[in-house]
Amino acid sequence: MPSDLSSLVHWILFLPLGAAALSALFLRRAGRIAAWLSTGVAFAIAGLSLQLLTSATAGALTWHVELAKFGSISLGFGYLIDANARLMLFVVSFVAAWIHLFSVGYMKDDQARGRFFAGLSIFMFSILGIVVADNLLMTFIFWELVGFSSYMLIAHYFDKDYAAAASKKAFIVNRIGDLGFILGIAMCLFLYDTLDFAALKDHAAAAGPVVPFAVGALLMCGFLGKSAQFPLHVWLTDAMAGPTPVSALIHAATMVAAGVYFMARVSFLLAPEVLHFIAISGAGMAALAGLCALAQTDIKKSLAYSTLAHLGIMGCAIGLGRPDLALMHMAMHAFFKATLFLGAGSVIHGCHHEQDMLKMGGLLKKMPLTAVTFIAATLSNCAVPFLAGWYSKDAIIEAAYHGGHIAIFAFLALAALATCLYSGRMIRLVFLGEANSEAASHAHESPWTMTLPLVVLGLVYSVAGGFLAHTIIPAGSLQPIGKALGEVAFHLTAPSTIVGLISLVIGFFGALKFYGSVRGADALQVVSPRTYHLLEHRWMDGLYHWYVDAVQRRLAEFVAFLDLLIINGVAVRWIGGGVPAVLGYLTGRSFHRGQTRAYALWIVVGTLFLAWFLIAR
Amino acid sequence: MENTSLAHHLILAGLLFVLGLTGVLMRRNLLVVYMCLELMLAAATLALVAFSRFNRTMDGAVLVFFVITVAAAEVAVGLALIVALFRKRGTVQSDALTTLRD
Repeated sequence: MPSDLSSLVHWILFLPLGAAALSALFLRRAGRIAAWLSTGVAFAIAGLSLQLLTSATAGALTWHVELAKFGSISLGFGYLIDANARLMLFVVSFVAAWIHLFSVGYMKDDQARGRFFAGLSIFMFSILGIVVADNLLMTFIFWELVGFSSYMLIAHYFDKDYAAAASKKAFIVNRIGDLGFILGIAMCLFLYDTLDFAALKDHAAAAGPVVPFAVGALLMCGFLGKSAQFPLHVWLTDAMAGPTPVSALIHAATMVAAGVYFMARVSFLLAPEVLHFIAISGAGMAALAGLCALAQTDIKKSLAYSTLAHLGIMGCAIGLGRPDLALMHMAMHAFFKATLFLGAGSVIHGCHHEQDMLKMGGLLKKMPLTAVTFIAATLSNCAVPFLAGWYSKDAIIEAAYHGGHIAIFAFLALAALATCLYSGRMIRLVFLGEANSEAASHAHESPWTMTLPLVVLGLVYSVAGGFLAHTIIPAGSLQPIGKALGEVAFHLTAPSTIVGLISLVIGFFGALKFYGSVRGADALQVVSPRTYHLLEHRWMDGLYHWYVDAVQRRLAEFVAFLDLLIINGVAVRWIGGGVPAVLGYLTGRSFHRGQTRAYALWIVVGTLFLAWFLIAR
Repeated sequence: MENTSLAHHLILAGLLFVLGLTGVLMRRNLLVVYMCLELMLAAATLALVAFSRFNRTMDGAVLVFFVITVAAAEVAVGLALIVALFRKRGTVQSDALTTLRD
């Protein structure tokens, strides 16, 4: 075990915790210092992660201390840094560092900056904990911490009702998934007597292809919640109530991808049926969410649906048995989606907190840097050949085709088309044409703290990310990407390339033209209001509402009735109140005359009776 | 001392206890009732000392020291309560104190 590298991991993990504690305890009023402290720490861990990424060591780096031992079960705290973890560490810390810098500009006028940056730091601590964890329990603890920090940051504007409601929704929906997660952990303990990933892998390998179905299915529930997969995806679009950098960091680039990372980490525990479900539901959700993005006028909500679509694609790759591709898409997506959200943040900031895309327009001239980086990230999102998104997304579509899953392939192709459609629509509405409101016509470019992250993340990484990953960074430290690129042949006759190019031409340019035809309104809504309504309406929310209102509430009321009848009625009123009442009636209140001497006599009689009873036995 | 046995001590303790108990049950003046209570406690203490002596251990005798100490503190509280009661109600006759009935 190389000790210098594990101390590197200590620093990576605990620096943000220290920053969070310092900000939360002492810097509540000193928002400016808290902001730069948090940002400095974020850049420091980005540097350390890069060092870890490029230190080419063979095999995984492990470090473990035992915290408690119950019989044969050992619970501990430790690191398991394999190639996946190195990649994820780098992506998370690098994207986070630039988002921190962006936040310095974006949150400049916020009253609660100290709390906000403390929240960002505690989030960093939590997500890095998930990445390095070497056992299920530690993963679960950091998993919950991530949920907590997400809750706290969504509710940053807690005096707004919708933000408070959205944070509660995110927390509760995640709780439902986590119930399955913790049951899965319990089942692992029951079956294998260990929670260690390495030991679990040995057990799974020893068991051969017959891994119990329930373990994988239960662990998958945690993934469904955290990564916003169908049917627990409903919280993600509401989570956009938080500040935009939070949406970029947590609800687009890192936290929602943690579920994908976790599934890749325990992929040996997933039974084929579980994988099949993940693949089908992921692909289906990718297509559906891509189409739903067309019916959103709020720029952040539209991007949230786009995130859902990409999470579906990642889930689909997991389900196809290609976690390496899922992680690669996670990395690429983190870069370009963070850029898109930060670009949206810059636009919102420039337009004086206008989020309605229909009221924007013509921002290409007003905010050139933001526009160029946003468009570059959008093209990457559409998987334009040789941009970052193309490497990973087309590889997944290709894998679906080669696996012979025609339904999944069709869904993914539809998702690719939808992606190009909503991307074209977004570009057309926001950056091209004429300004559609007072705010948009007075838009101004954002300060350097906001545009620099855009340029770095957007231009360098989402455009050239895949190329850089392929060529510059030494092979070995980036096994997932290198392997994925090596195995999938990119040539013009590949089905994924054909699908990608067709959807790009039809979708992107079609959308540019179509949405240019109507001004100040959504073209689809004008042409076909029914289709628009179908996509806009939140059917799953309605279903959950119906379930809670009509099924769960009825059940709860029935149980409450039983409680009133049996516990409160029979047990308390009848027995507890009835016995003394009957006795009092029978004895004509002779017990209750207030004579202290009589009470003393009864005490003596009672004591004698008790003594007799004990001796006679 | 040669003629006394454990039984003698216990009979004396029992007589004292019954005397105290009778007083507690029969008398009406709370002050007297309280003295009778103390008599009962003394009876129990006597039994304890007797057991200690005839069993050749010091445990009971030592325990009695604690009992006496606590009893002294308890007397202070009890008498204070009776004085407070007299100031408030103007009587210490237990027949007059029937508020518990309600």
